Amino acid sequence: MWLPVLGLVLGIAVGLLLDWRVPQEYSSYLSIALLAGLDTIFGGIRSYLERTFNVRIFMSGFFFNILFAAGLAFLGAFLGIDLYLAAIVAFGVRLFNNLAVIRRIILSKWINQG
Amino acid sequence: MITKNRKITFILSLISAIIGIMFAIQLKSNMNPVPNESRSIAELRSSLQKELEKHKGLLADISKYNLLFYQYESSLNEGDSVSVMKEELARAKRMAGMVGLEGEGTVVRIQDAVIPEPPPLSDLEEHSYIPNAVIDEDLRWLSNILFANGAKAISINGHRIIATTAIRNVGEDIQIDTKTIRPPYEIKALGDPDVLISGLKLEGAEENLKLAGKQLIIEKHDKLLIPAYTDARVIRFMKPVKTKGES
Repeated sequence: MWLPVLGLVLGIAVGLLLDWRVPQEYSSYLSIALLAGLDTIFGGIRSYLERTFNVRIFMSGFFFNILFAAGLAFLGAFLGIDLYLAAIVAFGVRLFNNLAVIRRIILSKWINQG
Repeated sequence: MITKNRKITFILSLISAIIGIMFAIQLKSNMNPVPNESRSIAELRSSLQKELEKHKGLLADISKYNLLFYQYESSLNEGDSVSVMKEELARAKRMAGMVGLEGEGTVVRIQDAVIPEPPPLSDLEEHSYIPNAVIDEDLRWLSNILFANGAKAISINGHRIIATTAIRNVGEDIQIDTKTIRPPYEIKALGDPDVLISGLKLEGAEENLKLAGKQLIIEKHDKLLIPAYTDARVIRFMKPVKTKGES
């Protein structure tokens, strides 16, 4: 269970070492992709805890969500509509949902154990 | 089940690593953002105009300095200062007698006079004296006359006379700068031939040497070759005096 956390730390370290910079105008796309990725991760953890985890669903969800979120934001900018706000709201709501579910599951497990 | 679990963990780690990279990049991109431009377009335009003008001025400066640099370089290569220095050096060498010279001038030969009456045998001393009658004094005197009449360069038997040349008797021979010369003596002088010859005549050179039983043969030459001073000159015991204002 600790391996994903290790992977996260490693990824942050690599990202800091790589010294890549995203131009200011593309920063919002990356942030929305990041949000989508986080949502997928938490969704994955939740489904893992609910024992309905499917690798294919998880993987496809991860990449598809990221690309679609960024694409939506791009399309919004292209059309002059702030579509990325919709993506942020949607992913934010889902993120909190997932977090709540994870918390409940872990709590119930803990209570059952105790 | 365990292998599947491991696989899932591995995939989760990979995904979180990707997320981590994205997170770090986002963080870095937002950490020191470019300060937003708050000035108006007109202001920006005017400052851009200013900067463009500055740029233009700098470019002009660059081309100016390039031109200057080129001038310096070309003047170094073939330019005035060096050529003037070279000319000056050549002139100094000419004056010092370090180079061979040619030009019009006179050749003065001192030969034994064709004496019409046989020398009196009784006077042995005089007879023995005659063959080497020319002494250093005569050569010094002759070259002095030539110099006094505008000779620019003189050589005696191929030895260039320079400012420090010594002509002296050593034993029965005459030495020029420690090099022995033997008769017949031949003095070459560069200068106006007419002036040189008339100077010699005015001083009575011919008569004077006739007393010693010698004959002067004076020739005009349009093209006379005077060799350079060949010995190495060592600069010792002398230092240039430094005067103020010159450097």
